[in-house]
Order: sequence, then structure tokens, then C-alpha cells
Amino acid sequence: MTLEHIFGLTVSGLTVGMIYALIALGYTMVYGVLQLINFAHGEVFTIGGYIAASTLIWIGVDATTPLAVKFAYFGLALLVSLVLTATLGFLIERIAYRPLRNRSRIIALLSAIGTSIFLQNLLVIVFGPQPIIMPTAVVPTGFVEIFGARIRVLQITIIVVSLLLMALLTWIVKGTRMGKAMRATSQDREAAEMMGIETNLTISFTFVVGSALAAIGGFLVAMYYGSLQFNTGFLYGLKAFTAAVLGGIGNIPGAVVGSLVLGLAENWGVGLNLGVLAWLFVGGLLLGLYFQLVRAPRFRIDHIAEEFRTPAYERRVRDVYRFAPVVALKTLFAERTDALLYVSAQHAVRLTAANVILLGLAVLFFVNGDVQFASKWQHVISFAVLMAILMFRPSGILGEHIQEKV
Amino acid sequence: MSEPILDVRATTKSFGGLKAVNNLSFEVYEGEIVSLIGPNGSGKTTTFNVITGLYEPDSGDILFKGESIAGLSPAKVYERGVARTFQMLRLFAAMSVLENVLVGMHGRTRANVLDCMLRTPRMRREEDASIVRAREILEYFPGRFPEVRHAQPASSLSYANRRRLELARALAGEPSLLLLDEPVAGMNPAESLEVMRQIRDLRDRGYTILMIEHDMKVIMGASDRVIAMDHGIKIAEGAPTDVANDPAVVEAYLGRRGADTAS
Ligand SMILES: Nc1ncnc2c1ncn2[C@@H]1O[C@H](COP(=O)(O)OP(=O)(O)OP(=O)(O)O)[C@@H](O)[C@H]1O
Ligand SMILES: [Mg+2]
Repeated sequence: MTLEHIFGLTVSGLTVGMIYALIALGYTMVYGVLQLINFAHGEVFTIGGYIAASTLIWIGVDATTPLAVKFAYFGLALLVSLVLTATLGFLIERIAYRPLRNRSRIIALLSAIGTSIFLQNLLVIVFGPQPIIMPTAVVPTGFVEIFGARIRVLQITIIVVSLLLMALLTWIVKGTRMGKAMRATSQDREAAEMMGIETNLTISFTFVVGSALAAIGGFLVAMYYGSLQFNTGFLYGLKAFTAAVLGGIGNIPGAVVGSLVLGLAENWGVGLNLGVLAWLFVGGLLLGLYFQLVRAPRFRIDHIAEEFRTPAYERRVRDVYRFAPVVALKTLFAERTDALLYVSAQHAVRLTAANVILLGLAVLFFVNGDVQFASKWQHVISFAVLMAILMFRPSGILGEHIQEKV
Repeated sequence: MSEPILDVRATTKSFGGLKAVNNLSFEVYEGEIVSLIGPNGSGKTTTFNVITGLYEPDSGDILFKGESIAGLSPAKVYERGVARTFQMLRLFAAMSVLENVLVGMHGRTRANVLDCMLRTPRMRREEDASIVRAREILEYFPGRFPEVRHAQPASSLSYANRRRLELARALAGEPSLLLLDEPVAGMNPAESLEVMRQIRDLRDRGYTILMIEHDMKVIMGASDRVIAMDHGIKIAEGAPTDVANDPAVVEAYLGRRGADTAS
């Protein structure tokens, strides 16, 4: 386990994470405005990649093409893919979702799954079941050496392009009139409509932007792996959806954070041996102890009403957290307990349990330090991370605790 | 009298078998303050929802300034000049105070994403004008929305200020008809009095107001005319004191319980 090995895995994790993020943003934005999981989004991503690749194949770019011309073709393929895929996203909403808007949630969900199957089959009919091969001539092949690790230029390109797109999206959402309409629509669609916002237009715009991001994701994946298959979008869509849930569905920064966590977990999980991974649990344990001993008691104490706030009471709250195994349990089983102490005790017991689990895992991993997960465990690991985080934060990493409406 | 600004004609809206609004007709004239009263569940909010386009009426018609608005989308109705507040506050909680008002102006601005991206002069002029106007509207509530609060999320405001902000957001659309759904609900007497004065002041500034209210002091103190509903039907209409003493209204509010126990 050398440092450059870890660094290389980190860059791979970030690369994959960024691609997940480009897809996850579409899931989360659509969920924001419609409370709908757009299951066809994975296929939109695949189709974006297919269109870009087939445009390049159709133009016939090869190694002898001059660099400037290659760039022009590349730009053309990107443009074609963006326009067609965004149109597809627009049409999906118009045809598959809008007519069912006021029906029950489950009907829209069925329509989403149906659309997804339809689009996969459409790809097979048009392009055949064999993978489409990306012309290698337009793919940057160079390497750079950073901290002794060989990093593909393409990886850096993917990370930088994704960051730029996310900055652009943030600006659209925060800084433009349309973005304001999107935020208003996702907070309360009816109220937004009654305040003069054409929510249908806003929803269409959301699908167009989400699909355009997915198309770029598809193009990048086709370049990264060299090929795409009609069902590539299924797994990517599922992972990106997982990432969106992990970060807090409906939350835009959350989708990015969730995607990066997932990308890194997948790459670190199978690329590092348990001895190295154990340090992650040590980090988690430190964070957990900080929460239990400092953050959580301070938060509770800050919220005690002035008139009850005696030093003795503050100490009791703090002791519940500090000596949870004894004091918190005693509080829970006492005959009469103050409500705040009771809630704090429950919280403290949960935090203690989490910290004990983290400690146990760290020890287990250190003891078996030389073992490494086989790469077929990749998906298991990513879903284990999802479950572990959702267990302690049901609304996701950046999700809101309660759906607040005022 | 001249032509009414709002003319609700034999409007019916039912949910399943329940006729929440039943063959309801009334008019509101320019410059009036009209109160819509009635026991809980009598269809007042539903009436607002039908006027503002949230629901399409099953039958009947609604004319605003002489043109039918029945069946138009809420955004279109808003653009014509009908703005509302909500019984249960519906602010955009995660957006800032200023942004909430700016959302109210959405329909009046035109800048698209491309304009914003290129920062065209048209867009910048529009943006600056919107912000100036939004501040102006917030200043209509003296001392309630000082500069420092403008960037805070709406959820951080006190309850009374959230109600005020909803009114500010409705004013941002430069409406000619304001629909206020229980504007003093949950307010203390001093705050209610302030709102009542404000409603009269708004009328003096040229707004026409239709409000739903339960607070008798506010109804008596502010309204020119009162319309009473029960079970979706109009049961009385006229001057505040007349309606308050109308036997049908008294029965709707009090008598039903008496009648139930009697039978
Ligand atoms: N969307 C809806 N679906 C089904 N029933 C509804 C709907 N909206 C309102 N109702 C019903 O219509 C009736 C009238 O409701 P409405 O909200 O208009 O009453 P209200 O006069 O505003 O009462 P309150 O004083 O309690 O606000 C009630 O029985 C209510 O349950
Ligand atoms: Mg009501």
C-alpha cells in the first residue's frame, strides 16, 4: 500500500464520483420539482453517450485527422448529443409524466419504469445489442505523474469539466430568474403557480438541464471506458440514484457529495487492503466521539430554556452523553425522568452504539490488515455505505431533517 | 353601479359527492373591502382556490374585469391581477425574505437564462428595478423588514412577520384584486388591529380586497360588505351589522349546535 497507489485510487474514485454526480443531479432536480424518481434518467444518460459516439463514427474521425479538426468534430458531437438528449428529456416529461401528474405516485413510477424499458429496447432496435465503440482518436491518451501516480489526462479532464458544469448549474439555480422559479417550484408548486410562475415551463426546463448534464456524463463515460452498451445506464442510473439518496434527495449539493462519497467508497473499498481502510473507521470514530462528547451535549444545552438552565442541570445533560453506558441507561430505566433528559439519553445510547460499531470495525479491519476485498464486492460496498449512512441520517448527508413549510 | 371587478356567477365546485361551493354568485366592485365569512368547512377557501385557478369550476363562470378567468392556469390569473395570501402560510421557506418578494414579481419580468448568462443590459435593468421595487414593498411594513433581514431565510421570521411577508409577496405582482385568506389568524389583538388598518390603507391606495375572516372586530371594522356562506351556499349578503344579525347567519354559526341538541 504505497501513497501513490492510494492517490491513484482517489483520483479514480473522484472521476467516477463526478460522473455519478452529473447523472445524480438530474435525479435530484426532478425529484425536487415533481417528487418523482425519473427512472428513465439512466437511459437518457446512455442515449447521450450513444449519440455522441455515433456522431463521431458517422463523421469518420481517425488518427490522421488534424488536431484542430478533431476538436471541431468533438464539439459538433457534443452539441448534437446535447440538443437531442435535452429534447428527449423534454419529451419524456411531456409524454410520460405530465398527463399523469395528478394521479397517484405509483402510476407515475410505473410510467417511469416503462419509459426506461422502452428506451433500452429502442437502443437495441436502432444500434443492435452489441456495444458501441467510441472512436479512440478523440480520446486524450496522455498521462501525467502526480505524487508518483500515473494519472490519465482524461481523468483530470472529467473532473475539471464536471466541476465547471456544477459551478454553472449552481449559478443557474442561485442566480437566474429561471433558477428562482425552480427553487420556488420545488418548495411549493401550487403556491409558486399562484405567484405567477409558469411551473410547467419550469419543470420542462428542469428536465432539459438534467438531461443535458446526463448527456455529457454519457459522453465522458464512453470516452473513459471506450464503449457503451444499451444497458450501461441501468447500473449507472442506479448508482447515481443511490448517490442522490445518500446526499439527500432533492438537495443539489447533496447529490454531488453523495456521488463523491460513493465513487471513493467503491474505489477505496476494493483497491485498498483492510489495514488502510481501518483508518477510515478510526476517523469516523473520532468524529463520532466529538459528536457524543462535545457537539451533541452543547446543542442540547443551548436549547434549554433560560429558567431551567442551572449548572447542575447542565451537568446532568452532559453526564448523560459522557457516561452514556451507565448514566444514559439509568436515565432510560428510571421511574420518572425529565423529557429532555430522556430524549438525550436515547440519543446518547444511539451515538454510543454507533461508536462501538465503528471501533469494532476498526479493530476487525486492523487485525485482518493484509486482506483485500475482491473487486466483485464493489457494489456490495457501495450499498453497505448507503445503508450505514441512512441508518444514522435517514434524510441523507445534506438532506433536511424535516420537510419544513411555513 | 359600474361593472364589478370580480363577478362570480353560479359557480359550483365539488369534491366527490361534496359540493364545497354550490351555485355561488357574488360581485366585488372596485375599491371595496368585502369579507367572506362562514363556519369552518363552508367553502370559503375553496372559493378562493376556484377564483385563483387552482381548481376549475364544475359549472358557472368567473369574470375578472369583465373577462372570464374560469379555467385559466393560476399563473395566468395572477398575471391578470389577482393575488392572494394563504390561510396556512405558504412562503418559500428556504428562500430569503427579498427573494420571496422577487418571486412575486416573476410574471412581470422576462429575463431568460441566456439574458442572465450574457448579462444583457435589458436583464440588468430589469433586475435592478425589481430589487428596488421589492425593497419599496418591504418598506410598506415600517420597521418589520430592516435591511439585515432581507437576506435571511423566510423561515427565520416570526409568525406575524411571515404573514406580513406573504402580503408583501402578493403585492409584488401589482395586483388590482387582493384575496386574503384569514389575514389575522394566529395574531394577537394589537397585531390584528395593525393588519386591519393596513387593509383599509391598501384600499385607499387603490386595491380592491376580498378577505376571508373569522375575527368579528376585523370584519366589522374593515369591511364595506359581508358575504356569508354555509355548506357552499351563500346565505346572506349586505352591510356588516345586517349580516351579523341575520337569522340564517346566526343559526349557521350557533344555531346548528342548538338545533342538533334540540332534535
Ligand atoms: N382538495 C379537496 N379535496 C376534497 N375535499 C376538499 C378539498 N378542499 C376542500 N375540501 C372540502 O371542502 C369543504 C370546504 O372546505 P374549505 O377549505 O373551502 O372551507 P373553509 O370555509 O375555508 O373552512 P375554514 O374556515 O376551516 O378554513 C370542506 O368540507 C373540505 O373538507
Ligand atoms: Mg379556509
